[in-house]
Amino acid sequence: MNPSQKADQAAPSCKSGKDDLINIRTPDAPTHWRSVDELRGRARRGGEFPGGLPAGAGPGDSSSGGGDGQGHGEGDATRRDFLSLVGFSLTAAGVAGCRAPVQHAVPLTVGSDQMVPGVSTYYATACAGCASSCSLLVKQRDGRPIKIEGNGESPLFGGGACATGQATVLSLYDDARLRGPLWRGQPSRWAEIDRAVLDALAAARAQKRPVVLLSGTVSSPSLREIIAEWGRRTPGFRHVVYDAISTSALRAAAAESFAQPVNPHYAFDKAAMVVGLEADFLGTWLSPVEFARQYAVLRQPGPNRSFHVQFESGLSITGTNADLRVPLAPSELGLAAVALWTRLSRRAGGDGAAPAAAEPFDGRQLDAIADRLWKHRGESLVVTGSQDVSVQRLINAINLLLGNLGKTVDLTQPSLQRQGDDGAMAELVQKMNSGQVHTLILYGVNPAYDYPDAGAFIKGLEKVTLSISLADRADETSAHVHAICPDHHFLESWGDVEPIAGHYGLSQPIIAPLFDTRAAAQSLLTWVGLGAASDPYHSLRDFWQKNLFPRQTRTHGFDAFWDQALQLGFVTMPPSSPTSPPKLPTTPLPGEGQAAARAVVASQTAAQQKGAAAAAAGQAGAGYELHLYESVALRDGRHANNPWLQELPDPVTKVTWGNVAAVAPQLAKQLGLRDGDVVAINTDRGQIELPVFVQPGQHARTISVALGYGRQKVGKAGQDVGVNAFPLTAMVDGHRRYAATGVTLQKTGRREALASTQTQFAMDGRPIVLETTAEELRKHEAGVEEAPEPLPTLWKARLHGAHNWGMAIDLNACTGCSACVVACQAENNVPVVGKDQVQRTRIMHWLRIDRYYSGPEDNPASLHQPMMCQHCANAPCETVCPVLATTTSSEGLNQQAYNRCIGTRYCANNCPYKVRRFNWYNYTQNDAFDFNMVSPLGRMVLNPDVSVRSRGVMEKCSLCVQRIQLAKNTALKEVREMVDGDVQTACAQSCPTQAIVFGDLQDPKSRVSRLLDGPRAYRVLEELGTRPNVGYLKKLRHVEET
Amino acid sequence: MRLPIVIFVVVGLSLGAGLTVRGVSRLGIHQGYSPEQPIAFPHRVHAGDNKIPCLYCHSAARTSRHAGIPSASLCMNCHSMLEKQTVEIEKLEEAVQQQRPISWVKVHNVPDFVYFNHSQHVVSGVACQKCHGAVEQMDRIEQVSPLTMGWCLTCHREHANLPTGSFQRAALSLSTKPTPVAGLDCASCHY
Repeated sequence: MNPSQKADQAAPSCKSGKDDLINIRTPDAPTHWRSVDELRGRARRGGEFPGGLPAGAGPGDSSSGGGDGQGHGEGDATRRDFLSLVGFSLTAAGVAGCRAPVQHAVPLTVGSDQMVPGVSTYYATACAGCASSCSLLVKQRDGRPIKIEGNGESPLFGGGACATGQATVLSLYDDARLRGPLWRGQPSRWAEIDRAVLDALAAARAQKRPVVLLSGTVSSPSLREIIAEWGRRTPGFRHVVYDAISTSALRAAAAESFAQPVNPHYAFDKAAMVVGLEADFLGTWLSPVEFARQYAVLRQPGPNRSFHVQFESGLSITGTNADLRVPLAPSELGLAAVALWTRLSRRAGGDGAAPAAAEPFDGRQLDAIADRLWKHRGESLVVTGSQDVSVQRLINAINLLLGNLGKTVDLTQPSLQRQGDDGAMAELVQKMNSGQVHTLILYGVNPAYDYPDAGAFIKGLEKVTLSISLADRADETSAHVHAICPDHHFLESWGDVEPIAGHYGLSQPIIAPLFDTRAAAQSLLTWVGLGAASDPYHSLRDFWQKNLFPRQTRTHGFDAFWDQALQLGFVTMPPSSPTSPPKLPTTPLPGEGQAAARAVVASQTAAQQKGAAAAAAGQAGAGYELHLYESVALRDGRHANNPWLQELPDPVTKVTWGNVAAVAPQLAKQLGLRDGDVVAINTDRGQIELPVFVQPGQHARTISVALGYGRQKVGKAGQDVGVNAFPLTAMVDGHRRYAATGVTLQKTGRREALASTQTQFAMDGRPIVLETTAEELRKHEAGVEEAPEPLPTLWKARLHGAHNWGMAIDLNACTGCSACVVACQAENNVPVVGKDQVQRTRIMHWLRIDRYYSGPEDNPASLHQPMMCQHCANAPCETVCPVLATTTSSEGLNQQAYNRCIGTRYCANNCPYKVRRFNWYNYTQNDAFDFNMVSPLGRMVLNPDVSVRSRGVMEKCSLCVQRIQLAKNTALKEVREMVDGDVQTACAQSCPTQAIVFGDLQDPKSRVSRLLDGPRAYRVLEELGTRPNVGYLKKLRHVEET
Repeated sequence: MRLPIVIFVVVGLSLGAGLTVRGVSRLGIHQGYSPEQPIAFPHRVHAGDNKIPCLYCHSAARTSRHAGIPSASLCMNCHSMLEKQTVEIEKLEEAVQQQRPISWVKVHNVPDFVYFNHSQHVVSGVACQKCHGAVEQMDRIEQVSPLTMGWCLTCHREHANLPTGSFQRAALSLSTKPTPVAGLDCASCHY
């Protein structure tokens, strides 16, 4: 498809009269499509309100009437109706004479000058949502943390934060958290547990039997120091680091290639050519927020725009952003690396004598990729998430050959974000089973859920004399331990992090502990015998004074240094070892590349042979491959009880509440599979059954399944949602693999309805998303392109007040990560509605991200478009509201007055953008929606500046009017005019790539005005004459040169 | 024989309907509401006789949406120096000693769907008495104003100095100090 042609179609002119205004576009030949069904022209499921509005159609809302169906029809007024009317009138009369319930106001007995009721304050801290350890700002209101944002001062992470990180604030108010310590399942006291633990540790010491701390990646340097103290004080102590989603091969390969067992720190902002091999670096891999921020730097239109090639089996959000995407099976990944290596070494003047291997790729395409890489030597980057050490070694050789080391691949200040050691974990499980481990302390891990051989782990756990879990809830693993000593939530505790060597973050408590929990550091200090001498705060401070303060020269007193670090949230220092940095090779060692390539070919051939053997064994539906990936929302499953994350549509499949088996359209056709058909996936590790999802771009023989689902013991929201695919992971050569060959696929005949939002709120094939090319932009700049004629309008021009608020969304910068969706939900008290209601298209998100495909269904180009109320100047919703509940404000906002709305839903019907949401139930008081809003604890996360909407009213994006009002008020108090940047909506604030810009369109110098005056700007469906205040910038596509 | 009954019923119903309409139209308006407080705090003595500025105790009104009720420790700023003792002051001292929060009864309430910001009005120079009445003359606080939307808008319309033409807009941008403008948009208060 020629993109320029597409853009022309998309901007119809109105020269030929009013007919063009009506017949905008025939919907039968979409250039962009959202699902395979839509592409093939099959009827999409439902409209905005499919199936009308049956009473009692949902979960038991008592007032929606029970026995409909056989009941009387409309207009059939009965005596009972009359009586209820009379009853209502009498009640109304009675109510009129009543007083409202007495409200109380309870001030603090001793006031605080830090906390003014009704004023939000922000504190810097570090995220513990995953091991990326991003710098955060936490908004605290009246003593409660209510929202998490990125720390804009941070040089690494910037002001953005991922969806998962932002949602961790809701995990603080999780009802499933333990209220206090448990001893053998019974509530206990800390003193009693401490006594038992100290006795056991003394016995272990006496018997000289090992004590093991099994933890996830410990990001905290001060905690690592406490663990080191354990090593010094406890003979036979061992610390085993275990990550459910491991990158151990990355470190093992770095040890072999560079003699440094570290995760390299990558710089995507310096890479003009990026090649990713099964590494979802924009979604989940290592440090997605940081990488997304770096990645966006060189994605802007211009001569320096980077080129991104992604080799992958399932469509990841990184793949959706790539300029060129090559689908391949997991077993072919190494061969792709070998093919690249061969071509590059030939260009480097080597003999290219790589082992002969079958190349299941387009050779010309690979030549072009190699050419581009070679052209950008020293400013390119090749990364892989492969867990095969030989593949990682080969990638190291490629980066060395390209001279990227020290430029885009940094080993002097490596990443410490994932430190799991798969081999050590396997060894531990073996030792536990042979009864060698005396005491086992589990911290931040859940192997009974996510270890490949969970059964062996649990069996081993039962043989341990004393097992202690520091988990915050009675999860799958904690159910088998002697003592659960719940750790604080990270918003309740002191701590520090070191995501990248030399970059330290400090975290502070934002709220006093809600329950009788105890910081993990405190427990570890107590049990090692330092409990009386120190506490987490003082041990942290001492650590910083001894280890960090001397390494800097800027601040003289430690107190000042500490206060600054606390206020800013992080400090950056040179690498800790002052000795000369290790000497790194500048070119690959002779033969290293060849050796690695040979190893890759050997291992891949073995894997493929295994697959072929399975196919040859004559099993029906055999010969497929399985690709397991980390879920963007739930990550490794630890956030499974967070309803915001469960209801967050997956950025690619748009499925909520559960995982799916993604299969290619071609395969689905071949096997006669449809969305929702349950299939059994068999590997030599076991079997799982999952509903099918037909995923364009999926590799033809590979099935992709998200990890992190199927938790058994996590809490009400996450219990039994989806299927646990961790048992299908396997240990190969000492490293955990997230792929399998020789997989069979069988239909079970069952069907399971998916809660996917991708076909909901469809806009019927109209030109919603537009693309452009560099060539077109050049033409525009040269003034060749004609300016479109202004559209005729029947509306009178509206005069604006002091401002005209608007928004620009850059489709070229948006990666689809969905951080803005959670930011909006947290800011605007958007309720969670659950799987059943999502299936009925009643998801309440004010901001959704539409994902469009274009091109062939086996490998389409993708586009993400954040869509929310467009704040039309001539809003179609307004003209149909019988009660004037929705109107345009003097500042250009489309405002919705909830107290005025009577719930006709005419506005939602008339909205061309399908962005209005109706409250079908009272989500705060209806027990059928047992999520955070019905729980007094969960309600603590609500933003007091935004009304909680009631049943029967319409709602939608307000462009965060509460933030606008606050900024206006602040300017007023500071006696100044407002300046650009005073107001940031929650979505704009949270975006790691700054794809969303908010501001005053009345100010020609504001960022948003300049962007919307630019060559890429357009408004969605502008031919309707709605004149939206939200505008989009076209996605820039590389024209295929290869 | 039946006529009196009919008349009685008709008169009764219309009387009831009249009362209902009147009652419903006043629904939620609590003008004159003056509940008893846990400590009989006389604003007359403090704000009236002793002329303590409102914002000394309700300092949050300058910065927050809530005017705030002073914490008991703030009362003790003065009361720890004063010798005068009454039963009511003893209650205060007891609360401070026992670190027991005082549960005051809130007098001025607006519905949950209304966002009212004290600081915005205080900074714009609206006197406290404009809405709260002559508090300095009250022994027990009483709601003087109806706090209805119509009542809010009466004042907002007076001060809605919205720039309508380019000339006014230019004049506004020339002035260094922004003019506080009372909003008339729904979203000024409802969001």
